[in-house]
Formats: sequence, C-alpha cells, structure tokens
Amino acid sequence: MNALSIGQTRAGNVCIVTLTGRIDSTSASDVMAELTRLISSGEKSILVDLGAVLYLTSAAFRALLVATNEAERRAAKLALCNLAGHVRELFEMGGLLDVFAIHNSRDEALKQLAGPHA
Amino acid sequence: MTTRPPGLIYAVDDQPPLAILAVSALQHIALMAITLIFPIIVAREANLSRTQFLDLVSLSMLGLGVANICFCLRLRLIGSGYLCGAAYTAIFLGPSLFALQQGGLPLVFGMTVVGGLVQVAIAPLLRRLRALLPSEIAGLVIAVVGLTLAGLGVRYGLGIDAQQQKINPEYVIVAGVSLVTMTVLNVWSKGYGKMFCVLIGMTVGYAVSAARGMFDPAAIIPEGGLSIVRVPQLQHMGLSFDPVLIAPFAVAALAATLRAMGDVSNAQRINDADWVRPNFASLAGGVMANGVAVMFCGLVGSSGINTYSSSIGLSGATGVTSRSVGYAIGLGFCVLAFVPPVAVALAAMPLPVMGAALFFTAAFVFTSGLQMITARMLDARKTLVIGFSFAMAIVADLYHEALMEMPIVLQPIFGNSLVLGTVCAVVLNLLMRIGVRQQVSLKLAPGGINRDAVERFLTEQGARWAARRDIMQRAIFGVVQLLEVVGDPPGGVEVEASFDEFNLDIRIRYVGVPLTIPDRRPTPKEILESEHGETLLAGYLLRQSADSISASGDDGFVEMILHYDH
Repeated sequence: MNALSIGQTRAGNVCIVTLTGRIDSTSASDVMAELTRLISSGEKSILVDLGAVLYLTSAAFRALLVATNEAERRAAKLALCNLAGHVRELFEMGGLLDVFAIHNSRDEALKQLAGPHA
Repeated sequence: MTTRPPGLIYAVDDQPPLAILAVSALQHIALMAITLIFPIIVAREANLSRTQFLDLVSLSMLGLGVANICFCLRLRLIGSGYLCGAAYTAIFLGPSLFALQQGGLPLVFGMTVVGGLVQVAIAPLLRRLRALLPSEIAGLVIAVVGLTLAGLGVRYGLGIDAQQQKINPEYVIVAGVSLVTMTVLNVWSKGYGKMFCVLIGMTVGYAVSAARGMFDPAAIIPEGGLSIVRVPQLQHMGLSFDPVLIAPFAVAALAATLRAMGDVSNAQRINDADWVRPNFASLAGGVMANGVAVMFCGLVGSSGINTYSSSIGLSGATGVTSRSVGYAIGLGFCVLAFVPPVAVALAAMPLPVMGAALFFTAAFVFTSGLQMITARMLDARKTLVIGFSFAMAIVADLYHEALMEMPIVLQPIFGNSLVLGTVCAVVLNLLMRIGVRQQVSLKLAPGGINRDAVERFLTEQGARWAARRDIMQRAIFGVVQLLEVVGDPPGGVEVEASFDEFNLDIRIRYVGVPLTIPDRRPTPKEILESEHGETLLAGYLLRQSADSISASGDDGFVEMILHYDH
C-alpha cells in the first residue's frame, strides 16, 4: 500500500538518500543495508531525507541508529532532514531527536554537511 | 493546555493597552454594525415611522452590546470565554419576514424569543448531540456563511438589488477603493495597519462615498430632529406567538446553534496552535449565551442574533483575540445605543462600504470552514453529506424564486441557503449513519501478517466514522508497530476497532506473550545491542503514542488495548 522506495542523488560531496513510504521491519533492513553500503564505499557525508516518509517503527529507528554508529566509526557524517508531522512526533515520542543530527530542511543540512569534507 | 500561535499579537487572556483596545473594539463595532441591516430590513418592511425606526436601530445596538458581553463571559453556564463577536444574522431573516406577514412585528419579536429558548434548551445537550452535529457539519455551516457573506458583499459592492440587476459604477469605485485598502494593509503592512485594516478601509470608503455624494444621513433623521443623547423607546414593541411558526424558528435556531458551534470552535482554534477538537464546555456556554442574547433581542424589539464569523475572521487576520476587546465592544454598543447620531451614521452606512467589509472578511470565514471540514477523514457517505448540503445551500440562492413556490410552511427552510444547507446536512448525516457499525474487526490469518490490509482497514473505517486524521494515523502506527513485535503467531491476529466520537479503542488479540511496555526509553546502546532493545523501544513508542495502553493475558491468549482520546 505504502511500500518503501529508496532514491539517491548527489549535491556536491553529499550523497542524499530519499526515503518514501513507510519504514517498518520488512523495509528497515533495506534502509540499513543501503546506508551501510554507502558508508563502506567511502561516502563521507550522507543525508537521509525523511520528508516523504509516512511513519517509521522501532525497526526503522534501530536501522538508522546502526547506520549512524557505523558512520561515526568510519569518520563519516550521517544526518537526517525534513522530519514533518507524524514522523517528527515519533522522534519526539521516542526521545530520539537528540540522538541523530537532524536538520529542518535539505538546504540547511547541505550547508552543514558540506563544511569539513568539502 | 493551549499553545499560543506565533501570529497572535494579543491572545485571548492578554490585556491590550487602552488605545489598542479602543481602536480594536471600534473596528469590530464598525464591522458588526453592517449587520444592523437585518433588523433594518424588518423595520422597513414594517413601515415604521422615522422615530420608531431609529428606536429599533438603537435597541438593536443595545442587543448587540448585551450579546457581545454574553459571548465573551467565562461563567459555568454562559459564555464561550473567547472574543466571539455577535451580529444580526440572515438566518432569522426568512422566518422573521414570514412572521411579519402573518402577525406583524409583535409576532416577529415573540417568535424570536421562542428561537432563543430553543437554543437555551439545546445548549446543555450539545455533548450528547455531538454525534448528530459533528464538527465537519459545523465547518460546512461556517463555509456556507462565508459564501453567503461574500455573495452579500458582492451585491452591496456592485450596487445590485432585486429591482435593478445592473452594476452601479459609483458603487464599484467606493467598494474597490475600500477593499483594496483593506487587502493591502492586511497583506503588506504590519502593526497598526494590519490590526486596523478593516476600520481604515471602511473609513476610506466613507470618505470616498461622501466625496461622491453617496453618504446621506439626513434621510434617516426623525421629523422632530435629533438629540445627542436619548433613551430609546419601546413604542414599536409587542409580543405575540403562533405555533405554526415554531418549526421555522426552531430550524433557524438550530442553524444558529451550528454556526455558533463552528464560530466558537474557530475562536478556540485561532487561539491554540495545537487545537484538534472543540472544548465542549466553551461551546455549550457560547450556545447558551446565544440563546439568552436572542431572547433579549426579541424582548427589546429586534431580530435574531448569532455569533459573527466575520468578527472572528477579523480577530484572526489582525492577531488581536483578547477577550477584553469583546467586553469593550459590548460596552461600546450599550453606550452608543443612547447616542442617536451614531445610530443614524451606522444606519446610513453606504452599501458599497458594507460590501467591501463583508467580502474581505468572508475570505477568512470561508477558508476557516474548509479547514474544519478537511481536518476529518471523509468517506463516500460523509463526502455526500457535505457535498449535497453544500450544493443545496448554493441552489437555494441560485433558484430562490423557484424554491419560494414551495408550501408556505417550508418556505423559511428553502428560502435561506444557510438554513437549507444545515437542514440537509443534519438530515443526511442521520440517514448516512444507517449501516455504519461503531465496532468492526479484522482477522489476519497466520502465515505472514498483512500490514497493508491493516492500514487499508483502519483508513477506510476512519473515513466511515469521519475520525480525525491525526488520531487514525497514530492508531495505524500503533497497530503496525504492535504487529511487528508480535510477529506471526500460530492462530493469527484479530484487530478490533470501536469508535464513539470521543474514544477510539483498538483491541489486538493473539496467542503468545504480552508486549513489555517499559516506563523509560531504552538507551541508544540498548537499542543497538540487541533485538530486545528494539522491542523495548517498540513498547515505549506505543506507550507514548497511545493515550493509554494495557495488556491482559490468560493461558497464552493475549489482548492488548490501545486507547486514543478523540
């Protein structure tokens, strides 16, 4: 009904991953696999755009945490942007807003990410 | 708790400086004074003398004063507690003119008192009647009022009347200058310009009208001259009653009640950035205030009064929603009722100035109504209720002449777009409830739980119930999250949803172990380290997203209940 699709674009040195649909246990592994693949391939700045995500479950949060952890381990940056409505509510409910690097918009995130690695 | 919207300059509990208070009140007074047109129409049809005519206008202003104070009160039984302006309404015009034909002004006033009594009787029952008068119907009423105001504004602004279906260029100039002034100040100015855009626009309109010879207060001055201060007399007053007229006045009272509910909800929404549902104590107080005010107006010899969507639109547009402004408006009208020159100036307000102000505020009223409708999920039934009723309201204006061929008892319903739209919506809403079950369930067979089916089931059911979007979204998340943790139990899963306008309860039954619902959020380390951490996060998210959650189990049969306040 609202299956997840994963898109990818670049803006300078930043790799932008756009997620669309819902992220639950069936699709969270795809997100985790894609993000860890990008980190392993040497990407130093990854931006995950959640603007088109309908909702995400605990499995999705875990996938994002694993990817963030992996990025830190490899001295890369992973940030999230465009958290809106129900998705932002879920981050708030889970007390997870401070756990990730979160930006209000894609532009704001790109300015931040472009810095040290540019 | 309410969240103050960032655009508000003076919120409901704020106390603006005296100068701001006075000018804000004056602006509302000018806007509300437009609606004196409705008692004036009745007075003109009754062929009153100039003195009696002026008395009626003055007493109508007194009625406005009392009504404004009643609406703003924050008492247990009466008052909405918000800046909720009062104004004479077209809703009672049809029944009033009909009563005038049947028994003269005493019958108009007597039946107006009856209309007020109906509202007083409805007010304490509002909570129980909620299912019959849901907020999407209140939104529809507000949207129709917006359209009616816009239509009236265009008619006055263009100088079109029943006799002359032709545009008057002089009117267009005055209305155009006035409307452009209001719009420019509202959109491209800040501070006082934005706050007083309507008053400034109307003043500009008066000035242009005077310059073009369209402002003639002399035509209203009584034969014996005009004193500065005068206690209005009740010479035109009398009371009589007719049981035949109870039906049209009761329908008008119901429409006025729905409009009051919509307006008070709108006032609540403007004052709370996180508004999701109306506060019923405030709604009931507002409707009670409306009933008392209508009775007062009938007793002093004026016509039916209602909340004023334009005034609430104005408070939203200017960012001044302080309750104190409401009291100042009420006091202002009470004082002005004893100053006949003001009654003359207001009664002589140029029509194109009225038109511009009505058209401007109608935009805010109409969009507020649409927002109230679209906050709910609408399935085919609800879409038909809203669509048909909206269309019928428009048809009442488009084919007014044809509909007035109806039997005389039905004319007050079919002759007024708001009354027809409201009756249609209430009746259709009742009919469309047939066959809508308030409790439904879905059985998910073992061997791969189909989450798409769950989403579809809850989405469709939410629309059938016209449930709030945000609540259904939380419920869908809750069920999917729970199913994710439960996995694929051997006997499958049963999802049961029940709804009653106040509560949404989802029961999930399966064979297995109940989900742990932790009090504290698991740390990121716990979540990362094991799937157990992820399960704890699931339980914590469920606890946070539902208004309450409980689990019970007996011999492996588990029932988890997710409750959401609606």
